[in-house]
Order: sequence, then C-alpha cells, then structure tokens
Amino acid sequence: MIIFFLASLLLSLISGILLTFIFLPSPKNDPQGRPLRIFVGGGLGIGLSACIYFVCLPAGLLGYIPLIDLAACLVLGLACYFLMKRRRREAERPAESQLHDRKVALFGAGAKLENGIATLFAVELLASLGSFLFAFLKEPHGKWDAWLIWNMHARFLYRSGEAWREVFAGGMDWSHWDYPLLLPLSIVRGWKYIGNDSIYIPAAFALLFTLLTLGLLLCALMFLRSRIQGYLAAMILLGTPLFILMGASQFADVPLAFFMLATLVLLFLPARSPENGSGAAVLAGIASGLCAWTKNEGLLFLLIVTGSLFCTTLYADGWRSARKRTVRFLAGALPILLIVIYFKTQLSPVNDLMAGFGPAAAAAKLMDFSRYAQIAKAFFITGISFTQGLIDIRVGMQLNPGAVSILLLIVYLLLAGVRIDDRDRTGLVRTAAVLLSILAGYFFVYVMTPLDLGYHLATSLNRLFLQLWPSVIFLFFMTAGAPEGAASTGSKTRKEDDFVKKSPKRSYRRKPVSRTT
Amino acid sequence: MVQLIAKYRVTAGRLLLIVLTGYAVLNLLWQQIRLYPGIPETDPVTIHEARIAQLRPLLPPSGAVGYITTVENDRIFAAEKTFTNVEFLAQYVLTQYTLAPRIVRNSPDLPLVVGNFIDGPPAPGFLEKNGLAMLRDLGDGLILYRRDRKP
Repeated sequence: MIIFFLASLLLSLISGILLTFIFLPSPKNDPQGRPLRIFVGGGLGIGLSACIYFVCLPAGLLGYIPLIDLAACLVLGLACYFLMKRRRREAERPAESQLHDRKVALFGAGAKLENGIATLFAVELLASLGSFLFAFLKEPHGKWDAWLIWNMHARFLYRSGEAWREVFAGGMDWSHWDYPLLLPLSIVRGWKYIGNDSIYIPAAFALLFTLLTLGLLLCALMFLRSRIQGYLAAMILLGTPLFILMGASQFADVPLAFFMLATLVLLFLPARSPENGSGAAVLAGIASGLCAWTKNEGLLFLLIVTGSLFCTTLYADGWRSARKRTVRFLAGALPILLIVIYFKTQLSPVNDLMAGFGPAAAAAKLMDFSRYAQIAKAFFITGISFTQGLIDIRVGMQLNPGAVSILLLIVYLLLAGVRIDDRDRTGLVRTAAVLLSILAGYFFVYVMTPLDLGYHLATSLNRLFLQLWPSVIFLFFMTAGAPEGAASTGSKTRKEDDFVKKSPKRSYRRKPVSRTT
Repeated sequence: MVQLIAKYRVTAGRLLLIVLTGYAVLNLLWQQIRLYPGIPETDPVTIHEARIAQLRPLLPPSGAVGYITTVENDRIFAAEKTFTNVEFLAQYVLTQYTLAPRIVRNSPDLPLVVGNFIDGPPAPGFLEKNGLAMLRDLGDGLILYRRDRKP
C-alpha cells in the first residue's frame, strides 16, 4: 500500500522538479539551488497532479491515472533532457565551475557558526516533528474543518465514483462545496493509487506541505541571502506553534501558505539571474494559479500579485518589461485559472459570502464604522497573538505575543539592521505591497461579510494570518542585515565574484549593497 | 567601533531568536507530551465513525437520508453559530462524514431517517409529529427510522 502511495508522490515530485529544470535553466549545479528546486518543484508537482486528476474526472479517465501521471513525467523528462542538451551545447563554460566555487565557499570562515546554527535547527526540526506526531495521534482525522470540509470532499469524490458531479448539487452548503479542490483531489489521487480511503493519506499530505513550506523558506533564503538567514527564518517558522498544529490539523491553509511563498520567492529570481527571468515568471504564475486552486483566498492573491508585478516592473524597468513579465506570469497561471473558472461556473455552488450580496446591504456595511473598529481591534490582537496556537473560539483571541510573534521579527530587525541587495529592491517592494494589499483585501471581506462579524473573525482570522506568515518571515529576512555577508560569507561573496569573472556569459554580477539601519 | 557594536547587536539578535524559538519549539513538544497520557486510546472521530458505520449495510449505497437528534433540526446550526453548543453540529457532520457518499439531510422529511441520540432522546411527541417509526435500534443512541406518513 505504502509503495503505491510513494509511487504517486514520486511521480508528482519528479514532474514538478523537472518543470523547474525546464523553466529555470540555471544554476544547474548550485548546491544551494538544488534544494530550492526540490521544494519549489515538489509543491508545484503535487498541485499540478491534482489539476491533471480534475481534468481526468469529466473525461472518465480515472482508471488510467497512473499511466497519465507516468506519461506526463516521461514527457517532462524528455523535454528536460533535450532542453538541457541544447543549453549545454550553447554554454561555453564548464558546468562544474560553479559547483566548485560554492563548495569552497561553504568551508569559509563562518562555517563553524553555520554548523552550530544548523545543529540547533536540526534539534528544533526533530522536536517539531515530535509535536506534529503527537497532534496527529491525538486527532488522526484532523481538526474540525478537516472532516467538515477537506477530507469530507475527498471522501465524497472518491466514494461517489462516476456520480461525482452530484455532490456539488447535493445542497450541503455547510460543507462549502465552492472551495477549490487541490487538497481534496491530491488526497483522492493518493487513495486511488492505494485502492482505499486510508486516514494516513490526508495526514501524509499535511506533513508533506508543512515540510515543503519550511524547506522552501529555508532554501529560498539560503539561496537569496545566506545559510544563516535561512536557518534563522526556518527556526522562526518552527517556533510558531500555530504552524505546526495547523499543519497537523489537515486544513488547506498550510498548502496555501506554501503556494503563496513559492510565488513570491520565484518572483525574486529574475533579478538574480536574468537568464531564468521568463521561466521564473511562468513558474510563479503556476504557483499563484495553484493558490487559486487551493482556497478562495488564492483568487484574491492571484489578482493582487498580477497587479503588483505589473506596477512594480513598470516602475522599475518600464512598460515593455512590465508587459512581458506580466504576460509570462499570466501564461503560467492561465491553464490552472481555466480549471478554477470551469469549477466555479460549472460545478460549485454559490459562495456563502457572496450569497444574498446586494448593493444596499453592501453600502450599509461600508458605512457602519463600528465594524471597522471591531475588525481593526481583531487584526491588532490576532496579528500579535495568532502564532501562539489554536484558540478556543468561545473565548476568542486574547492578547498573547508568546515567545515567537511579529514582535520578535521586529526586534530582530532592529538589532540586525537593514541590509538590502540592490537587485532585490523591486522584489521587496512587490512582496510588501502584495502582503499589505492582501491584508487590506481581507479587511474589506470582513467589512462586507454577511456572516456574524464576531463569529467570522473568531473562526478564520488566525488562519488567514498564518497563510501569510511564511511570506512575512521571508520578507523580513530578505531585509534584515546579514553580516556574514561581510564576515562569515565574506569568502562566499568573493568566490561569487570570482565566478562572475570566470563566466562572463552569466549574470550573477553583484551590485553594490547598500546598508541603512 | 561602529562595526563592533553592530556585530554585537547582530549576535544579540541571533541569540534572542535562537533562545525564543528553541523555547517555543520545546514548550510545544512538552505540552503535547504532557497531554498525551490523558488522550483516550481512540479519538472521538474514530469512535463516532465506528458507531455510525453500523448503518451502512442498512442504507442504500447512494441517495439521501434524513437526520434527527436530541434537539430540533434548526437548532443544530444555530447553536454552533452562537458557540453555545458545537456538539450537535459535530455529531451531524461526523454522521455525514461516515456515511458519504450518501447525503445526510438535516431534516426528518425523508423516507429513511438516522436518529443520533447520543445526548439523550428527542422532545416528547417529536417522532410522532414527524411520522417516524423505528426500523432498527443499533444501540448507543443510534436508531434508524422509516417515515410512515406525512405529518
């Protein structure tokens, strides 16, 4: 049984990783770049497998799913092989040069400090895996929303067989059948491979997305900043009890957090290696499309990222570049968006927040300033306290910053200072704009909600903040001072410069780093 | 001098971060370990699922069945919305979770009706008012009804 599940998982992961080789031609042998590929590609592969499964549903091809997955993997593998062969012919530099340079850099002056922090990170990772395991043993079916929504949908889709369409019109509005299907279909796919609806499959996906999010944050910062920054950021995420507990709860919030982070990380890559520019934009588009296929909030995210990408690129690089990059981004998102549109228009019932939504009711709510005050208060208290774990909704969120919260990030930033690589400026502005716009969007969703405001805030706001939390940590650590750049990774910087000299065709040219505190 | 102070500030920042994240991670693990012996051998969802699963062979493989419980049907969701009682909704949702792909309607107006009385019997006269006759008592407050007539 487990072998079949591992096979399904491997096909997804390999397909996603191959996709990154197709769209991100370099750096091929970078030791920091490889794990980034694995984590980005792995998550995208799982999401795209759920898309393939959905396309096969109406086509009646479910019996051939393993064959279709295998064929997709082989096609991507062949495409990757021929593309890499062509690129190798075109490239004049020996591929090993960068690997060598990076390896030397790893054993520079800061290696001891890095190893120490890596050891602490490993201890925290093991302890968090222990917490995850205990949470799973306590509630193997997950928490409330897992069996009310996500696993429930998976069960219906798996057990209904050919009659799968009927469940959407079944009148079970309380189970939110308008929610997108990435997570339920990933689970159904796993069940299809093993031949039964085991409770271990949803739990396996919960663990997988928790680790993918953690790994992506770690490797992205290792790649874009330094190893120490990567470890410290990952430790903040591990030190967030809500992240571990929500991961084990089998909700879709952690998968959404992963795809949001993947989108924002991928949009940083073009500035670092222009040869990856177009591919990174396409992959970012795919990741943001998968956000929309994971939760309804993902649609808002997709809209905001598209607008921010266009505006920031227009400001930084002009109209031509903005148009090109936005088109590539949308090209990546479009196939998944079509699936979402088909789902929303042909299958899903009306969303409970949109039902009975009229202009008169909307205007009345917009003019009710007591709602703004209530939401602002909830945003403030939850913003400081949400990291501290699950709340008793009868009591509501209490002010409790705990050990790890946004306050710790602010204090760390004050102590470490700000150090921004000039190449990252546009990306940082874009990421900050996206996160702030989403917060503003969430704020107005609450202003307009037809549900009882207190109930809606108490049951959802901490999860909405958790979805953004890995991206917020990423943003802070992309901004925070990384003195190992001058000390421990001084050698790394020098080696990178050496590499630029050795490989004139590549664009890893370092621009001056500005520092303000 | 400025560089030296900056270096100490960064070291202090890192130490603070390592200590606090370490505390948070170990504290969570400790809480989970401490709670573990108090956790029942089988979790409530699995227990509820095993109980409801007895109905499966008695029901058609698809289609809809009704549902009744200790309180009136319209109070199941209302009680959850006001956080006064989430148990009735949880029991209803878990009944649906177990019996999928059959649809469990929150209503007594169907030919077959699942009675889930884990928290006690319904109000006197409720069954008669809805024309429900017992088809099978599976014990532990789980009863399958047949709707004989329209009330």
